[in-house]
Amino acid sequence: MISAPRLTLLAGAVLALTVLLGVAEPAGAAKAGGVLTLTQREDLPQGFAIHETATISGVWPAMPCFNNLVLFDPLKPMESADTVIGELAEKWSWQDGYRNLVFFLRKDVKWHDGTPFTSKDVKYTFDMLREGPDAPQKLRINPRKDWYSNVEAVEAADPYTVVFRLKRPQPSLLLMLASGYTPVYAAHIPPASYRTGCIGTGPFKLKEWRKGEFVEYVRNPDYFVKGRPYLDGLKYIVITEPGTRIAALQTGQVEVSFPNEVSKTNAEQLRAANPKLVITPYSINTNDNIVMNMKKPPFDNPKMRLAVSHAIDRRALVQAVHQGGAVVGASLAPKPYGAWGLLEPDLASLPGYGKPSDEKNKARKLLAEVGYSPQSPLRIEMVTRNIAVYVTMASFVVNELKQIGIEATLKQIETAQWHPMGTRGEFQIAANLTGIGPDDPDANFFENFSCGSPRNYSFYCSEQVMTQIQQQSQELDPKKRLAMVQAIQRKLEEDAPRPILDWRLDYFTVWPYVKNFIPHQSMYNFGRAQEVWLDK
Amino acid sequence: MKSYVAQRLAVALLTLLGMSVVIFVLLRLAPGDIVDILFSAAGFVDPKDKQAILHDLGMDRPYWVQYLDWIRGILSGDLGKSYRYELPTWQLIRPLLPVTLELAALAIVIAVLLGVPTGVISAIRQDSGLDYVLRVLSLAGLSMPSFWLAMVIILGLVAYFDWIPPMTYVSPSQNLRLHALQFLLPALAVGYRSSALIMRITRSALLEVLREDYIRTARAKGQTPQMVVWRHALSNAMLPVVTVIGIEFAFMIGGLVVTETVFNLPGVARFLVQAIQWRDYPMVQNLVMFISIVVILSNLAVDLVYGLLDPRVRYGD
Repeated sequence: MISAPRLTLLAGAVLALTVLLGVAEPAGAAKAGGVLTLTQREDLPQGFAIHETATISGVWPAMPCFNNLVLFDPLKPMESADTVIGELAEKWSWQDGYRNLVFFLRKDVKWHDGTPFTSKDVKYTFDMLREGPDAPQKLRINPRKDWYSNVEAVEAADPYTVVFRLKRPQPSLLLMLASGYTPVYAAHIPPASYRTGCIGTGPFKLKEWRKGEFVEYVRNPDYFVKGRPYLDGLKYIVITEPGTRIAALQTGQVEVSFPNEVSKTNAEQLRAANPKLVITPYSINTNDNIVMNMKKPPFDNPKMRLAVSHAIDRRALVQAVHQGGAVVGASLAPKPYGAWGLLEPDLASLPGYGKPSDEKNKARKLLAEVGYSPQSPLRIEMVTRNIAVYVTMASFVVNELKQIGIEATLKQIETAQWHPMGTRGEFQIAANLTGIGPDDPDANFFENFSCGSPRNYSFYCSEQVMTQIQQQSQELDPKKRLAMVQAIQRKLEEDAPRPILDWRLDYFTVWPYVKNFIPHQSMYNFGRAQEVWLDK
Repeated sequence: MKSYVAQRLAVALLTLLGMSVVIFVLLRLAPGDIVDILFSAAGFVDPKDKQAILHDLGMDRPYWVQYLDWIRGILSGDLGKSYRYELPTWQLIRPLLPVTLELAALAIVIAVLLGVPTGVISAIRQDSGLDYVLRVLSLAGLSMPSFWLAMVIILGLVAYFDWIPPMTYVSPSQNLRLHALQFLLPALAVGYRSSALIMRITRSALLEVLREDYIRTARAKGQTPQMVVWRHALSNAMLPVVTVIGIEFAFMIGGLVVTETVFNLPGVARFLVQAIQWRDYPMVQNLVMFISIVVILSNLAVDLVYGLLDPRVRYGD
């Protein structure tokens, strides 16, 4: 008899294979025309200023306006270095042992206002992002500055050649540049203007942004990829009420679901109501995790952190909170949803992944060593954001902790206070969600686990792990690098600053005549809509 | 009458001034500010950058300076810029007003058309089977939150008709039929609840009036029952009903947030809630002032209508 975890893995592999095989229509079959209607759960938080936001609500509706130097192939759901394709760059080349990355740019690209695109725009964008000393402009908020900490200089060798000079080899840089979070801005436009409008090079031009209502695009007739986009336009309708969003999708008022919108239960409801809908499960590269503040008691004590990690039955959480619409994994998403994650056999030996009763016993034993028990419980306050997806997960965790002798009261924090509280360390333990741009160790580790990173909310700082992170970042042999990355994941779970509980799945839903809108293993990277067409 | 209206407007100005202080202070008492929200969208907070943004927005100035700046702006017709959208707040508020005003007006019309006649019938046929049925229906209307009713309408439309009203605003000139459907359904959800209240008030007011001596006199003089009710009793019974109508209309301007959200109507209330969540002080302050003005004017209109309904009520004498 096949065990439940193996069955889940098998099912996931079958689904992934189905998606892989059933993906692209041949270009010759595509029809031009039509306006695709999509939805947004909230209005754009920073307008079209993708570089000043770190939320799907910012990048999803803005991607069609822009291009990157490179992008993950929209027709391939699994992202990797092999699926990176050129957009503004025709070709690129690693040189000097992955210390220099040279891009040869397209010569036929114009900004939406007709200004020609050149290497000056690329240098401008990335000098601004890395906050280089000669950066001509500064972003008001720069959430991914750490992605470029290894970039020493960006040189515009000639109008159509750009060189990224790195301090040390970093193969991941290419993947970070391929993320939806890395468009190229225009050098002749102040970055602040992207908060109110959009001049990009992308397949669609902004027609109207009616605040709080919708964003509308029209086809860019001068787009440098001939025959693209297929669509005449896009319309993203802001629908803040989740029930109304699902109703709009079910009735066809919107034709594409919003990423991270359709849970397994919603998917079953939609399938039952409208069997024609095409529903594709995929990982959105977002995990549930528990952040423990290592700067103050009780979680400055590693035994306390391990006890918490042992106490939480991840598989039960996946069933109870997500109704099976999530997978267990460590700090990187597991196969088939990611390329770097630990597999079941590796997980089995980590805290929280063994037999639930054994894990709870281990947790109680650890707590007893520091003087607590179910009869003499530790009383703490757990915080979480006052959003349903956070609260349901946090409630489950509170119950798990109660069983080992930790009485946690759950405090819900409003969004306005959440990150300031996290940055100031004004909490003991938090139930959190973390979304990561590309499925890449650098993007994840440097942001969430490196010493001094503003998003390292647990204030974890391990010299050993930092050295390992730096080493894997420079490793050019993929197999060796995978082994190093997996070792880091094991170490992080053992140190337990931020135990990972699960990786959420989303059920991307489109109407059957919407073709070539293929979800990737990260929801932040497939919103360009350049290849999408309507078969009606 | 003119001097009465002038006096009321002068008092209204003082009320608005008081409201402005209340709004200003309450907003600043709420924890967090726009900069915290902006950083939330980015996932972290950088204290240096935060200070810089606060300075750019003028939020690091003393509160009394910020307050006077705002009031000075209102008096000169400049409502300031939205912190979130970086656009003049009037430019953002203007398109919201017709949506909310139309929804509120339709809801009130439905409420009056349903509530007054049913209240009259219920009063005339007191303790009859019809009276009980109408009272049960009104109790249902009072018990059902309008947002719940709105959700049920949406779910019912999806389940039985595979259809919901348009999710973006359709103007009458674009498509009158769709526009009507877009507003009629939420107006029904809101109007039903208000009609229940109006029905109860109409019923109890009319019952009280029907017990008056002059009504007995009118009947004794041979007036038809219809004449007694519609000509003699109703105009006196309508005074409290008019008050309720005025209060309900004023409430609707700012209180339709969930109905607007469920039906996805781009109105004042929905925008106000989002502005509060974003701590977009200029938007919130100006929207709340607008709602206050509507409440004040509604009350004034109600008081003036009293004079029309009851000749004994005279203003300015």
